[in-house]
Amino acid sequence: MSTSPSVLVIGGGSTGTGIARDLAMRGLDVTLVEKGNLTHGTTGRMHGLLHSGGRYAVSDQASAKECIVENRVLRRIAGHCVEMTGGLFVQRPEDSDEYFEKKLEGCRECGIPVEVLSAEEAREQEPYLAKDIKRAIRVPDGAIDPFRLCVANAASAVEHGARIETHSEVTDVLVEDGEVVGVEVTHKSGTGPYVHGNPGEVEEIRADYVVNATGAWAGQIGDLAGVDVEVRPSKGVMTIMNTRQVDTVVNRCRPKGDADIIVPHETTCILGTTDEEVEDPEDYPEEGWEVDLMIDTLSELVPMLKDARTIRSFWGVRPLYEPPGTGTEDPTDITREFFLLDHADRDDLPGMTSIVGGKLTTYRMMAEKISDHVCEKVGVDAECRTADVPLPGSEDFSVLRDYMDDFGLRSPIGRRSVQRLGSRADDVLTSIDPNPVVCECEAVTRAEIQDSLDTAGTDLNSVRIQTRASMGNCQGAICCHRMASELAPEYDEDVVRASLDDLYQERWKGERHGMWGEQLSQAALKHMLHATTMNRDADPAATESGVDFAAFDDGAVADGGRDAHAVSEVDDGDY
Amino acid sequence: MAITDDVLVIGGGIAACTAALSAAETGAQVRLLAHKKSTLRQASGLVDVLGYAGDDGPLANPYDGLDELPEDHPYRIVGEDGIRDGLRLFDEAVGDAYRGGHTDDNALVATYGGTMKPTARYPESVASGLVSASGDMLLVGFESLTDFDAPVAADHLEAAGVPFSVRGVTLSFPKAFRADAKLTRFAKALDRDESVEGETVRSALADAVADELDGESRVGFPAMLGDDHDTEVRDELADRLGVPVFEVPTGPPSLLGLKLEDMLFDALDEAGVRIASGNPAVDFEADGDRIETVLVDQKSRMTPYEADQIVLATGGLVGKGLDSDREHVTEPVFGCHVPHPEDRYDWSEPEAFGDHEFARFGVVPDDELRPTDADGESHFENLRAAGGVVGGAHVAREKSASGVSLATGAVAGRLAGEDATQ
Amino acid sequence: MSDAETPPDTTPTPGEQGEDDFEPVEVFPESTEMDLRPGADNCYKCTSCDVSCPVAEVDDEFPGPKFQGPEQWRLKRKEDASVDDSIMSCSNCMRCDDACPSGVPLSQMHNTARGEYVDEEMDKLSREYIRNRILANYRTLAELGSMFPRLTNAVMGNSLVQQINEKVLGITAEREFPDFATQTFREWWNERGGPQVRSEDKRVAYFHGCYSNYNTPEVGKAMVRVFEEFGYEVVVPKQRCSGTPMFANGMIDDAKRAAGINAENFAGLIPEGYDIIASCTSCSMSLRQEYPELFDIDGLEDISEHTYEAMEYLRIHEDLDSAIADASVSEQSFAYHAPCHARNQGLDRQAVELFRDLDGVNIEDVGDSCSGISGTYGWKEEKYDKSMQIGSDMFDHMEHAEGNVGMTECPTCSMQMEHGTGYDIKHPLQLLEEALV
Repeated sequence: MSTSPSVLVIGGGSTGTGIARDLAMRGLDVTLVEKGNLTHGTTGRMHGLLHSGGRYAVSDQASAKECIVENRVLRRIAGHCVEMTGGLFVQRPEDSDEYFEKKLEGCRECGIPVEVLSAEEAREQEPYLAKDIKRAIRVPDGAIDPFRLCVANAASAVEHGARIETHSEVTDVLVEDGEVVGVEVTHKSGTGPYVHGNPGEVEEIRADYVVNATGAWAGQIGDLAGVDVEVRPSKGVMTIMNTRQVDTVVNRCRPKGDADIIVPHETTCILGTTDEEVEDPEDYPEEGWEVDLMIDTLSELVPMLKDARTIRSFWGVRPLYEPPGTGTEDPTDITREFFLLDHADRDDLPGMTSIVGGKLTTYRMMAEKISDHVCEKVGVDAECRTADVPLPGSEDFSVLRDYMDDFGLRSPIGRRSVQRLGSRADDVLTSIDPNPVVCECEAVTRAEIQDSLDTAGTDLNSVRIQTRASMGNCQGAICCHRMASELAPEYDEDVVRASLDDLYQERWKGERHGMWGEQLSQAALKHMLHATTMNRDADPAATESGVDFAAFDDGAVADGGRDAHAVSEVDDGDY
Repeated sequence: MAITDDVLVIGGGIAACTAALSAAETGAQVRLLAHKKSTLRQASGLVDVLGYAGDDGPLANPYDGLDELPEDHPYRIVGEDGIRDGLRLFDEAVGDAYRGGHTDDNALVATYGGTMKPTARYPESVASGLVSASGDMLLVGFESLTDFDAPVAADHLEAAGVPFSVRGVTLSFPKAFRADAKLTRFAKALDRDESVEGETVRSALADAVADELDGESRVGFPAMLGDDHDTEVRDELADRLGVPVFEVPTGPPSLLGLKLEDMLFDALDEAGVRIASGNPAVDFEADGDRIETVLVDQKSRMTPYEADQIVLATGGLVGKGLDSDREHVTEPVFGCHVPHPEDRYDWSEPEAFGDHEFARFGVVPDDELRPTDADGESHFENLRAAGGVVGGAHVAREKSASGVSLATGAVAGRLAGEDATQ
Repeated sequence: MSDAETPPDTTPTPGEQGEDDFEPVEVFPESTEMDLRPGADNCYKCTSCDVSCPVAEVDDEFPGPKFQGPEQWRLKRKEDASVDDSIMSCSNCMRCDDACPSGVPLSQMHNTARGEYVDEEMDKLSREYIRNRILANYRTLAELGSMFPRLTNAVMGNSLVQQINEKVLGITAEREFPDFATQTFREWWNERGGPQVRSEDKRVAYFHGCYSNYNTPEVGKAMVRVFEEFGYEVVVPKQRCSGTPMFANGMIDDAKRAAGINAENFAGLIPEGYDIIASCTSCSMSLRQEYPELFDIDGLEDISEHTYEAMEYLRIHEDLDSAIADASVSEQSFAYHAPCHARNQGLDRQAVELFRDLDGVNIEDVGDSCSGISGTYGWKEEKYDKSMQIGSDMFDHMEHAEGNVGMTECPTCSMQMEHGTGYDIKHPLQLLEEALV
């Protein structure tokens, strides 16, 4: 048994993994539980913007200032998760000059470096911007991969002794003598890396302190503990384009509104977003009009989006929170600040704190604050080091800067692999020979898939979010079954098949939101390959009733000669 | 002045080839107008007729399922005779290269995903690997060919209860290629029996497999055993191993599909069909309800093609015979009516293998396979449709894609030829 | 202004042209960046292109057109400079273009990536670069050679010279350089006094390309005689290389310069009712497809819309079927090979389909494989073996065909056919001339 105080963190998003890392680095005994994959909740469902703070520079300067600070920190500690694309706030002729000036002024007040670009300069940087734009403000926005970020935080936490349990849902919060003492967790498939199909087991995890970092789900955990956490989940759509129409984050320079940002993300662009309050963070309508709105509105900034291929859409739920009694009607007016709710002070229930609100860019700062709070509660005096120590994968910047070594791969494949793996590239990519490409769209090799299996277990969706395999334009049509086969021989065929079915279904769900034009043709091809060519929709191995093999053609011709070829007369006397 | 023929078949896949062969039989001068390479190259090379209908399947006999199909299914329009006629044309076109014509029954064939599926005709190279035939089986895959994992496929077949035992092994191909060498590189090496470390690649491969053979009476490889000299490759391996050797059909890149395409085009040549390929038919000129000229976009310029009768066999959503945007599904060449739900979210089902509407998209044929408008009237008196562009069949679920193409191709081609030569 | 008014110029001063065309150590100015990532939107990963690629079949170092095209482009970020060096193994046969059912601009992607690679990553002093530049600028070489054709033929045929070419330049010693004609097509044209038929409404401008001019003027003469037989006024404007060998070697700037000159000399004829006719299918391909895809020069769109391959033009504008049906020639048999670039324009079947109705002729298509030479590809010492491997199917089929004379529209395919079988090779226009003139 460890002698250091134990902390249980609920939630495997950026906040949860950030807290787990922070506390583990301070020497605490940390366990993190997450009901799905890492990033299963909100973190995995955002547009991947690394804020410069520019978006909040008029409406919420406190947030803006935090953003620019953390923007710089993340570039330092998470280089392999960040692409410094730069950002533009683009003004169209119909957008107000006054707001443009306010934005500029606000950015300066918050310490965000800005530069005004003429329309020509902006179009030189991003040639597909509309011809009639007026001007733009350049800010240091970037793109961040939330999956990689969480995985790296979790990996760092594990290096510092933490235990991370994914696919482990909190089914009760243990309260004894008016104090939270731990949680009851139902493991979907047993402890450790996820393995398909095993019966779940229930485990009680006791801890000196519990942190509820479940974002939009914080209310549900609160209910289990008998306290009210008034999260107001608000959904937003994100539509993924097949290619990068822009290499810079493009924001519309006007007061809040839907469909006002395009983020270049990995091989794609993500269009965002809407802001609609929903009742249940897991059950809300995903509607076509939202997708249409993204395309129609954002093509005012980048006209080619109108006819470009979208590959899917997804929705995220913001964990918005406002203190009781504020009574804001429009969710877009709710603050993006985060709140630390100590249930001892608030609800007279010691032993647990919830953290709500906030945003990905400032996850580390939030984690630091709550870690400070936890340390104070459990009586540990330790400094936060997360702003200075790079995350695993981002330690050695020389690899990132000049990836001259292609690891025997084609240069774009080597380059993309290094962009994803960062300083781990060498270890990972040289581990397997031969190292064929498994996912061609995203240039993911067998070695990278195998590496991701260490933490993913049999969960191919976890492999996917770590590597991007199956996230390209074919949406797994060509590579889903290859990815599944990588699970063998470690896992049995029935597990391989179940994992494949899960991944295929998950891909289909989001793909449906892009099913017209090229993507409908792609989906039809995918359906033909998997249903017609592979007969996976009527797989005899998956059906109850056996097949009467003897009733089928066994290739033998009635007269015994294989070469007899009945053309005009059908021989029905065989059986 | 236009390039003139009796019958113009637009398309380059199995339906188009069948329609052209069928029309040529009537004595008409036929031209095939193909755009690019067809979906045959993406398909397995198996010729399915009907494997599942309603709740039934896998069907041992495809004709048993016809009555289960909906009224507007293309099979209901062309009938059993149409299907048989399509198969006859196919069998004549491919000769001994395909098997299965000796019986009405479906065979069960192992797929590269490890499943099995019912099919009516299969390449000769697949014949000794039928799952509906007995004999223990060894499947061989290769390290860098990620599409086919032989041990997984073998276990999958066992899970389906095949009446024999099956085992899979993964080998490294005897000749070292870069990890991203194309499948055609492997086929070519075997075709030419290239040398490898003082040996030939076929014998080296046979040696490697022989080491793994443990009493199995047949050995299967992903379909990559040669191209031009495939029979030779297979025979030599079988000879050296002492057991029959077969191929497991694959998805793209599908060499079996490619070979089928070659055979069909050879048959067209043989039948005197003219072929113009490489450029798309994009527009037409009509006089009332007769199409007079089809316009081909020959690199930024229109070339006119004239014919008495026209068969549209441009494929479905995959073959690009159907197009769509956020609101509409269209047939782009002649603008034929394609019924579809108004809300695009009703085009597909949330379940990946659900009963998707999009799978049935296509033109609505009358009883002589003329595409009809929303009122059920034919668009043009001299336009017929065949294959994937015809709606009403969920070919993926039914395992009926090739059969629908053969049957509608045979009938549309024959009717067009008869009308043109009257 | 048409050639009818201004007599076509005589052979240009070689020294002047040579300097203008050929500067092997010039470092290119920054070319206009082209972003072809949106072209990846069309790809649905069907691999039709990969199985059509004749290079991937024999060279496992070449990762195939799907990777080289849509995948490599889609993986690109703006700041990424590096293009995989395997792009130089693409032979630019453009069969991937012909295969793609989905409209991915594959050859445009390859051409552009190759241009970028050569521009930014290839050492301009390297043997490979200099060799490629020489091969790409065949016209310059030919122009010099044809000044003293007999001497040049003797020198180039000398095995010592061939060895030097291979050792110093990396040009294979296995191939014999094509002989230069003692009289170029243009010399012949000038000698006969230009057009012999005048017409207001049937007029064509002939793009003869380099090979018909310097090496096989009989093809050019056949073109002129056939078209004049059908009553066309033929003019022969001043012209440069169509650019095909330059695209294949990433020498985009050279190609652009030549395209500018061709645009100047041809575009003005179009409003006067001239269509442009090429006898080489790679030239017609270039004028039709690659010009508008790669260059933004005035007149190129017009040229693209009005360019035809010679026989294609007659099939559309004349009743060639009937003319052939009424004609006959002495008994002869041909083994016909359709060049890859003809395939792409939908012209791969026309010779066979037309001539099989010509009395006296037996013609067989020797299959749809690539000849393997792909212009300059098969001339490179390190590609020679692969080129011959690609061609082996065609050689096989030629040997099994009844005819002992080959036929094709493409000059370099004809070199390969001759090299692999020893057959004489004819251009379809020559048979057309025999039948109709």
